Amino acid sequence: MLRNLLLATLLIPPLAYADGGKPILNVSYDVTREFFKEYNPKFVNYWQQKSGQTITINQSHGGSSKQARAVADGLEADVITMNQPGDIDILYQRGKLLPKDWQKRLPHASSPFTSTTVFLVRKGNPKKIKDWDDLAKPGVSVVIPNPKTSGNGKYSYLAAWGYAEKKYGGGDKARDFVTKLFRNVPVLDTGGRGATTTFVQRGIGDALLTFENEVQLIKNELGGSDFEVVYPSVSVLVEAPVAVVDKYADKHGTRATAQAYLEYLYSDEGQELAAKHYYRPRNEKVFAKYAAERFPDIALFSVDEVFGGWDKAQKIHFDNGGTFDQIYTK
Amino acid sequence: MLFKKTLLSSLLISSGLIAIPALADDSQELEELRARIQELDQKIRVLDRKNEIAVEEAAAKEKEKPVLVAGEKGFGFKSADGNFEFRLRGLIHVDYRSFGDDEVNGVKQIDGFLARRIRPTFEGTLFGKYDFRFTPEFGEGVNRAQDSGNTARVVDAYIDARLEPWFKVRAGKFKPFVGLERLQSGSDIKFIERSYVSNNILPNRDLGVSLHGDVLDGKLNYAVGVFNGSVDGGENTTTQDSNIDKDYAARVFVQPFKGGDSALAGLGAGLSFTYGDAEGTAAVTNLPSYKTPGQSNNFFSYAGTVVSDGKRLRWSPQAYYYNGPFGVLAEYAEVSQEVRRTDIDRHDTLKNNAWHVTANWILTGEDASFKGVSPKSPFTTDGKGWGAWELIARYQENNIDKDAFSTAAAGPGVRFADPRTNAESAKSWAVGVNWYLNQWVRLAVNYEETHFDKGGSVNNAGAATGGFTDVRDRDDERLLFSRLQVSF
Repeated sequence: MLRNLLLATLLIPPLAYADGGKPILNVSYDVTREFFKEYNPKFVNYWQQKSGQTITINQSHGGSSKQARAVADGLEADVITMNQPGDIDILYQRGKLLPKDWQKRLPHASSPFTSTTVFLVRKGNPKKIKDWDDLAKPGVSVVIPNPKTSGNGKYSYLAAWGYAEKKYGGGDKARDFVTKLFRNVPVLDTGGRGATTTFVQRGIGDALLTFENEVQLIKNELGGSDFEVVYPSVSVLVEAPVAVVDKYADKHGTRATAQAYLEYLYSDEGQELAAKHYYRPRNEKVFAKYAAERFPDIALFSVDEVFGGWDKAQKIHFDNGGTFDQIYTK
Repeated sequence: MLFKKTLLSSLLISSGLIAIPALADDSQELEELRARIQELDQKIRVLDRKNEIAVEEAAAKEKEKPVLVAGEKGFGFKSADGNFEFRLRGLIHVDYRSFGDDEVNGVKQIDGFLARRIRPTFEGTLFGKYDFRFTPEFGEGVNRAQDSGNTARVVDAYIDARLEPWFKVRAGKFKPFVGLERLQSGSDIKFIERSYVSNNILPNRDLGVSLHGDVLDGKLNYAVGVFNGSVDGGENTTTQDSNIDKDYAARVFVQPFKGGDSALAGLGAGLSFTYGDAEGTAAVTNLPSYKTPGQSNNFFSYAGTVVSDGKRLRWSPQAYYYNGPFGVLAEYAEVSQEVRRTDIDRHDTLKNNAWHVTANWILTGEDASFKGVSPKSPFTTDGKGWGAWELIARYQENNIDKDAFSTAAAGPGVRFADPRTNAESAKSWAVGVNWYLNQWVRLAVNYEETHFDKGGSVNNAGAATGGFTDVRDRDDERLLFSRLQVSF
């Protein structure tokens, strides 16, 4: 019996990690470049120790919805790391590339960390921007990526809508508020990183709306003394879901590696790294460790709570002919 | 001078001719100008940025535009993501056939040119996984005599759904996955005419559907299919099947060392079967005739009163081996066919077979493979490149079941075929040279000699209606083929 057990122990590892060190492709959204640049070598090291395999991880970044469409159209990603579930849902809807219930496969609905939408303003906050109302005032210029192509832009739009709904009531009032706000948006970039370029490097606008981790990156690495971060009274909970793209992982024979790659995001090391990059970790201990320093306590609402889920929000607001198309006429 | 100016200024100011605005007004105006300049500056920046984004988007859209293709794989166009593609390809074979004898068994052998294949091919891909192919034929022997014009026909017309590498579905008219040499493209075959195995025993093309796929990293290929069924070496037409029962085909082919560095990396071997049940009639016998290598004459045909009468089973072991410039392809095929005489009560199961071994050696060092040869140095008229040169050799046999002919007690006779006009076997050897000027153009010369055994002629032609004692071997066939091939 003992001998059989010993034999089984010797045989199981090579069978369990039968991917043979094949490279994997992670298709992600625009503003995760820096995080995965640091995360990937850590995972490669971890995986090397665990399985004995040395692997390569390839990255692809861009506007999240655009990236998701690319995968649905045939870009053979082994894993996809997006900033909204809707972008992963289309992989099921358009090509059955993964199962419908993909969110059940990892904790926290397959979202290992979160973020929120905040404001970045110029030094001294010359337009005195404190909350959402200030963004809709005449004479204020706001930079937001295109909600049709960018998850970052969608969250900014929904955050403004949710704020208006809570403060002024739903329906036409929220619509009027968001219309006014988007009148102040002079240019629409396709992704979050492009919007950062518009605001920081091209010097356009009084405020940039983007993810909390992105504004901290700008502050820390792209001229921190020239900008200030403003946390509004309320904002949207940004969930960053991840999934193995079953069809392509199976085709490439990389399922075990891809699965481990995503599970490692939930490890202490992965969560610490998320916090370091200003993503709000799901691990409560890690979150508590960094909360005071990095994550101000603001009221957050989820897309499910205010909009009834991403499917509904997409259909009403962002599909062709939807509310955004109606209010944004520039 | 300076004093004069100062005095003048003082006088003008004091007289009220020049007014100095209040300091407060000046400051306000400066602020307004500054704001105005900032506003204009923002507008210019926004315009610049919009232009920048428009250029980026235009560049991205440019990448999404369909791409025109004109190159090694033919001509066509495809979508930027490659999921939709259309290709125009072509294959032209113009041959000259010279027979060594002007007359064989009393039949004139006419030397001359022949447009053996004139095939445009329209093929492509839809949604990245559905391939289609349509190939009409405007050449070949089905073309009628000089005065009756050509008869075009459809050679291939099918769709192939590549659902998974291990699960593909092909439907339409196509080559059944049976014969190894038959599956080799017409532009890649080594000799001008395929072997007896391909031309006389195994099916050429058929109408049906086949499941096929590659597993174990392409080391194992499988195929199973159901077809209308065709006679030996036959090609089913696009019309309705004349037979109620269908034919079934299956094949496995392994390349166990594929992708490795060993000397056996180019080894492949397989086994295929077809099985069907065909009842012939006097009008449609569902039985074949076997051609000589010259393709103009048959050396074996069943008697006019013989029809197919049930099961037809074919099986074919097959293999190839390629190593560096050397290649060899070998194939055996046997058909077991139930036949019946319609004029008398006679039924039997006859077994006919064929086999060949074909070897090639590329003198200019290119690697031999199942596919065509792509010269390292294409031919140029200035002598800098001579293309690729290949020597080829083949031995092949086609053997008919002796029970087709004789009744043991009474000597030679017509059981199912007449030995006075049909031989029991054909044995051929051939050599040749292929000159690949480039990957599209090839010149070929083949010499093939065939010896026929046990029948096919009589010593005295005038006694053909009499006894069988004068039966002799059919005259040998000697052929010099040459071919110009253009394929793209």
